[in-house]
Amino acid sequence: MRRRLPEPAVLVWIALAATLLVLVAWPLFQLLLVSLRTRSGDFTFANYLAAYGRARYIDSLTTSLLLAAETSLLSAIFATPMAWAISRTNMPGKGLVWAMVFGAFILPPYLGAIGWILLAGPNAGFLNQLWRWATGAGDPLVNVYSFHGLAFVMAFQSFPLIFIFVKAALDLVSSEMEDAANILGAGTWRTMWKVTLPLAWPSILGGTIVVFLETVALFGTPALIGIPARINTATTQLWQFFESPVRVEVAAAYAIPLLLIALVLVGAQKALLARKGYVSQTGKGGERRPIAFGWGRFVLLAWCIGVGLLSVVLPGLVLLEASFARAWGRGLSADNFTLANYRFLIFEHETALATIWHTIWYSAAAASLAVLLAMLVSYIVSRKLVRFAGALGFLAMAPFVIPGIVMAIGFYAAFARPPFALYGTAAIIILAFTARFLPIAYASSSAAMGTLHPEMEEAARILGLGRLGTIARITAPLLKKSLLGAWLIVFIVATRELSAAIFLVGPNTRTMAVLLYDLSEAGNFEVVAALGFILLAIALGLAGLGMKAIGRDFMLRR
Amino acid sequence: MLYLTKRHLLTAATAYGIAPAAAQDLPANEQALYEAARKEGELTWYSGQVQAETGEAAGKAFTQRYPGIKVNVVRSTSQVAYQRLSQDMQAGVAQCDIFSSTDYGHYNALKREKALLPFRPKAADGLIGPAKDPDPDNMFQILYIGLYLIAYNNKKVAEADAPKSWKDLLHPKWKGQLAVGHPGYSGAIGIMGVTLSRMYGWDFFKSLEKNKPQIGRSADDPVTLMNAGERTVGLGVSLSAPLLSQSRGNPISIVYPSDGTLAVYSPTGIPRNAPHPNAAKLFMEFACGPAYAEIMRQFFIMPVRPEIAPPTGALPFEKVKLIGSTPAQIEDGVPEIKESWRDTFGV
Repeated sequence: MRRRLPEPAVLVWIALAATLLVLVAWPLFQLLLVSLRTRSGDFTFANYLAAYGRARYIDSLTTSLLLAAETSLLSAIFATPMAWAISRTNMPGKGLVWAMVFGAFILPPYLGAIGWILLAGPNAGFLNQLWRWATGAGDPLVNVYSFHGLAFVMAFQSFPLIFIFVKAALDLVSSEMEDAANILGAGTWRTMWKVTLPLAWPSILGGTIVVFLETVALFGTPALIGIPARINTATTQLWQFFESPVRVEVAAAYAIPLLLIALVLVGAQKALLARKGYVSQTGKGGERRPIAFGWGRFVLLAWCIGVGLLSVVLPGLVLLEASFARAWGRGLSADNFTLANYRFLIFEHETALATIWHTIWYSAAAASLAVLLAMLVSYIVSRKLVRFAGALGFLAMAPFVIPGIVMAIGFYAAFARPPFALYGTAAIIILAFTARFLPIAYASSSAAMGTLHPEMEEAARILGLGRLGTIARITAPLLKKSLLGAWLIVFIVATRELSAAIFLVGPNTRTMAVLLYDLSEAGNFEVVAALGFILLAIALGLAGLGMKAIGRDFMLRR
Repeated sequence: MLYLTKRHLLTAATAYGIAPAAAQDLPANEQALYEAARKEGELTWYSGQVQAETGEAAGKAFTQRYPGIKVNVVRSTSQVAYQRLSQDMQAGVAQCDIFSSTDYGHYNALKREKALLPFRPKAADGLIGPAKDPDPDNMFQILYIGLYLIAYNNKKVAEADAPKSWKDLLHPKWKGQLAVGHPGYSGAIGIMGVTLSRMYGWDFFKSLEKNKPQIGRSADDPVTLMNAGERTVGLGVSLSAPLLSQSRGNPISIVYPSDGTLAVYSPTGIPRNAPHPNAAKLFMEFACGPAYAEIMRQFFIMPVRPEIAPPTGALPFEKVKLIGSTPAQIEDGVPEIKESWRDTFGV
């Protein structure tokens, strides 16, 4: 009798679990160790007492959760109609809307926040000056330095995440389901509410959860707007543990329980989606047509343009002016115009171009790794191929909620020294980005996997294709759009990642976000704005190339 | 000067003897170090004191003077630099050859742990008085003195009306006009808190709160707000940021407060386990010398050598009344200041 060799797929699962253990569990474990030790290395729980023993620390955590709730809700409200309009309707100006969403995503949050401070600052904010001039009122119209102001600005920076998630899901829904609803007498709106959107529900939820977790862990914008508004968040609190006297062990202890939030949210997602089918892709062919709209499409366009104006065009204009100014404090005038900021960065700066190049390739490598891992993990989890698949899913989701600076401590402890000895290399940054943004890729690909009926894979297997062949030839091509969407999100989020990078960059591996931070620290705002626009131009150019290479499917509806 | 380019620095550098070492006679002590350092080939500098561009410029100038020795600048905030260093030490990995932080406490801690290498650069003889021989055991040198003062938007505030002292800032006319950093994020603001509350009591800050200052994070955050016109006066701003902004033509002016400009002394030293000790010692010689001070000047940092003039727009040390706190006062005082700050300002 021939001995049966194990299916190669099994080996892949083992390799995958091992990768996740090294990439995610190992740094998290290092972090846990840090949180349970005194500086001299003895075991202690004192760090947890120090981190949670004070009302104000717990208050800031509550604030963060409320802020994350408002931000993620706003983001979903901004993004969902836009995704639906672009994916399903004949709304005009889709290219423009796409460009604005993309721009909002690429704009470094630090610059976006400054842009909004310049627009909505209570004293000199441009919108408020306009308001006072028009109405003669004394009080400002909007004040960015407030809880809601902060939530709005963060939502403007995060809604593209949900947009890309939801659009990817809607792109997979075939018109037949909507046709069925229409035949049964439902109008366009009713069909959208009852059929189309519910089919995208896992993606909306997945995207919202990702934004929620991102907001909890975000530092830049809360620091710029929250502190002047006198709002303490968990991350601004956390950064104070890094000021003198540095108490990393307390920071770690403060961050570890945040994992519970990820756990609760993932559980909630499961419960909300349980026992319902979201399969929209089956073995039977489908067809997709844009829904023809009359005046309604202009309402949709107005909504999209409104969000685009607020999220990228207005703050962008303010920054554009600064980037061409000799001295932006002097305002708009001919003798204040200069190209020197751009010339300085492109031709004279020692490291700016190398830094841009680092950023692009680290982010691309991390995005590719993360998407590959995420697809395999979500495949195992959704097809329940092994026991404890859920644990793999949690591991893939966990790293996101740990703020970057704390995660970086774990990474440094786990990989900088032997046996890995990755100190100062590109690899440690790529690994950190991969682990940190794996959750985004995972949330996206697991939502997409849920729309896929197994019957197509079964057909391939019946015809003799192995498990891996099936994934490569059936599953992956069907999910191409979702995976590209996930890749794009991870890529962009990685290009703007600061808090983990700041701890891990070596002398020759500086990234764009770190350079922006350095320049902004020096108060060189004109140059910072110019750097932001160079980043924007390069990213838009790459997206254009991507679109050409992969076909319009890359971003535009076919 | 609007932009610092390689050309500018080179012109400046040649004036202070940054020609390759082979072309000139090095002093005997440097010659010996250089020969040993050449075998090491490089050094790694963890710096929280100066910005990345400044550090790179200094590193380039060093390599130019001592060809064959590359400087890897790892720029971060002082606290992150310290955290990296301690993590390296705990893990028994030696990475760092030169450690520069703005926090004196780091050196006290490192000294207690016997983690510093004693070395007295010969060039330290020529440093200015306040920077000379800060440590009896020569574990570190003062190569950076940060000055923190008041700045204002001169388009919105006339020079005659501008505040002249810290005390002036308490006047009700500045209500809603002030901006300041945060002691939880900026070591300098913590030291400002300790120093001003020693001079005027914590009541100074309670009165300041009546003027509703806008609280930022870093000491230099107010500069952005003043350029935008969102606030008109910044306190506890470092000398460098407003001078850089001013040099570009922004409407920013600085005031040396009549009741004293805050001086923060920042050490630089060599870790005991430095992997390139000779290169590190050579770098200390270089950093105590005039060429380094000249580069600092170009980036609007006060040089600590008497023969180098202050940066454009700044006064020399002799003309400025300096205030400050001792390392011990800082170490004891800052944690308490952070608590009081939270109670008074709510953030």
